[in-house]
Amino acid sequence: MLVDRIDALPTDEIAGFKVRPGKPLPFGVSHTPNGLNFSIYTSAGTACTLVLFNRGEEQPFAELPFPENYRIGDVFCMVVFGLDYEDLEYGFRIDGPHDPGAGHRFDPSKVLMDPYARLIAGRDVWGETPNWDRLYPYRARVSFDDFDWEGERPLEIPSEDLVIYETHVRAFTQSPTAGVKHPGTYAALVEKIPYLKDLGVNAVELMPIYEFDEFENSRIHPDTGERLYNFWGYSTVGFFAPKAAYAATGRFGMQVDEFKQLVKTFHRAGIEVILDVVFNHTAEGNEHGPTLSFKGLDNKTYYMLTPEGYYFNFSGTGNTLNCNNPIVRNLVLDCLRYWAAEYHIDGFRFDLATILGRDPWGAPLSNPPLLESLAFDPILSSCKLIAEAWDAGGLYQVGTFPAFGRWGEWNGKYRDCLRRYLKGDEAQVGQFAQRVQGSPDLYNPSGRSPATSINFITCHDGFTLADLVSFNHKHNDANGEGNRDGGDDNHSWNCGAEGWTDDPGIKALRQRQMMNAMAMLLTSRGTPMLLMGDEFGRSQHGNNNAYCIDSAISWVDWSLLEGNAALHSFVRALIRFRHQHPALRVNRFDAPGTALFPSCSFHGTHPWSPDWSDQSRQLAWLMATDLPDQGRIDAVYVATNMAHFASWFSLPQLPEGYRWHLCFNTGDATQPFNPEEPPFDDSGILLGDRSVVVLKVMST
Amino acid sequence: MNLTTSTFNGWNAIHVEGQVDSKTVTTLRDYIDSEVNEAIPVALDLTAVPFMSSAGLRTLLTLHRRTQELQVDLALVGLSDSIAETMRVTGFYDFFVIYADLQSLPPRG
Repeated sequence: MLVDRIDALPTDEIAGFKVRPGKPLPFGVSHTPNGLNFSIYTSAGTACTLVLFNRGEEQPFAELPFPENYRIGDVFCMVVFGLDYEDLEYGFRIDGPHDPGAGHRFDPSKVLMDPYARLIAGRDVWGETPNWDRLYPYRARVSFDDFDWEGERPLEIPSEDLVIYETHVRAFTQSPTAGVKHPGTYAALVEKIPYLKDLGVNAVELMPIYEFDEFENSRIHPDTGERLYNFWGYSTVGFFAPKAAYAATGRFGMQVDEFKQLVKTFHRAGIEVILDVVFNHTAEGNEHGPTLSFKGLDNKTYYMLTPEGYYFNFSGTGNTLNCNNPIVRNLVLDCLRYWAAEYHIDGFRFDLATILGRDPWGAPLSNPPLLESLAFDPILSSCKLIAEAWDAGGLYQVGTFPAFGRWGEWNGKYRDCLRRYLKGDEAQVGQFAQRVQGSPDLYNPSGRSPATSINFITCHDGFTLADLVSFNHKHNDANGEGNRDGGDDNHSWNCGAEGWTDDPGIKALRQRQMMNAMAMLLTSRGTPMLLMGDEFGRSQHGNNNAYCIDSAISWVDWSLLEGNAALHSFVRALIRFRHQHPALRVNRFDAPGTALFPSCSFHGTHPWSPDWSDQSRQLAWLMATDLPDQGRIDAVYVATNMAHFASWFSLPQLPEGYRWHLCFNTGDATQPFNPEEPPFDDSGILLGDRSVVVLKVMST
Repeated sequence: MNLTTSTFNGWNAIHVEGQVDSKTVTTLRDYIDSEVNEAIPVALDLTAVPFMSSAGLRTLLTLHRRTQELQVDLALVGLSDSIAETMRVTGFYDFFVIYADLQSLPPRG
């Protein structure tokens, strides 16, 4: 039986609005019977005013100071009745000391955004020049959060079974060649799901989709006159809100529904959605940056400050979020729980994650409370947690990131080693063997598993795969920084000419090298990750740091799909092959293997005799596992020859009843993969120079 | 917003004219509540609705759930292209049976 609730009625009136004392939790705005509960934290603020706007209007229609009896501890909270919450935009003014030396930057002339805002208006159209003088630029709104999931839920695919595809909402869909109805939006990404499904990936990792300011540090290129943006979005304005300008319906304030529909549609296609999240810093910059939210709410709580009150800059972007402060830690936890529960997000990749393990003065903690909280959180227990285990302050923790048995890592050492082996560097083969079996040297001593390692050769940061085999050096002139930005440790090789060439020999070698890279990546244990478009030779024309480029350099050119159909078909076949072969996805370093073969063994031109010398550029591996429920074994043999000459590889001998089948041979330009996987009865195979072959074992 | 009712081919047609948003949605919801009868299918005629806000779309979905519960058929008629597209992109579209115009409604006894 429904009964009337006492708290459905107001007790006071402020500025003409019926109100009553609110509840401190949850923070932000929440629906109550007949009203909205506003709750905001500030430890050093002395007074707070709720500021209410009609949608899009410059000046507020009401300002409601919180009475002293509406404060519980450090939280101001109030229920306001009779608001049109669809058209409402709300913010706060906080009064308090303005004493930067002591860490305080209160300024009641600013209207501040709720850090828990789930829907943010004000910047609904990508690239529309903002009015910099606006009293309230990023405007918190009230989200419905009542999406009908129709029983849909996160997929919970085991990490070792994932093939992750790193992509960017706008870059993936903005080009006219994308052929989508709403370029640059979540809706457009949904239109590309059939493509991704066909490719065979089962997780997308979306570069930042939290509300960010594409105009942050925006400038005009001195030579070209082109506007440069914060295109990638690694600078958060609001942690709880999807970026409005990425929504086809952003101008109607429906980005929450549009993004949930995206997740629902991906899940229906069997593809997980992982978010690249940026908790290491915010868009407020340093003392010269704008005051949008945290800086005016409680600067000293939210940011790591020097004793003089300046901003520590471990992120390389101006400020550093004070993640191991208990208040900030709870904000991060609340945020991720919200995305997991309300958006059904399957996992999170944490940008510059080592910052999350630093204490308020920047020192690395041995047992960081935030990382531990995330690892053991009941709501996040099925979510993938992936660390980019380094930061701009010089902390590099690949292999030593405090994992609590839960965290995976972007394996930067896998990337570097694979690149060096691919281009034929000396003294790589020993490390390469570690990398392809899931990097036990990094993860076994601490009891972690191969899927801890997110294996990748390329990601958004650095060369694309096509550029990795076409450029020795970065070519970042389009970024307007005189080619000084971007890394120089690319471990790339242009195969004989810098940039584009008509030389058929060089072109053929590049094609083979791209196939070699993909073949090694997709036959390694661990969790492979591909960069968008690498499967059809996407190029950024040698730009290895296109963070600021909103043009064809960054946008995926879908017309390449036709020209590079052979590469695309090859990668597609490799992904299918990986899904079909559990031997490649064994997630134990101490797996028993089979009666025929160990779980993972290494070979050279002669079986069981790998050449570990510094001069060796050849290695083969055989991965095997029992499939007891099918009464058979699964075994895959991969031979790699990164030397500049061909070599005969004798295959490991098979007992009676088994034979080899040839699946891939990058040295065979006319047929690099065999859909028929024909029986292969020779005792060995000639590997062409810089080639990879993949065979599988089947019973006769 | 104007609201009228007619009978068309055995359907109870509710004609909406004007914008559906948080300011008008309560009127629409109350009107529909009073018009929905068990056993008579409902056609919500939106031919004269140029814009429907998030709150308006939510009312459509709650109406869909209520008519499902009552086992009454519900159809949307005459959606503008932009409303239809917003509904597609945000996932509302697939819940509904949609007809281009009243003439397309299948006759009901």
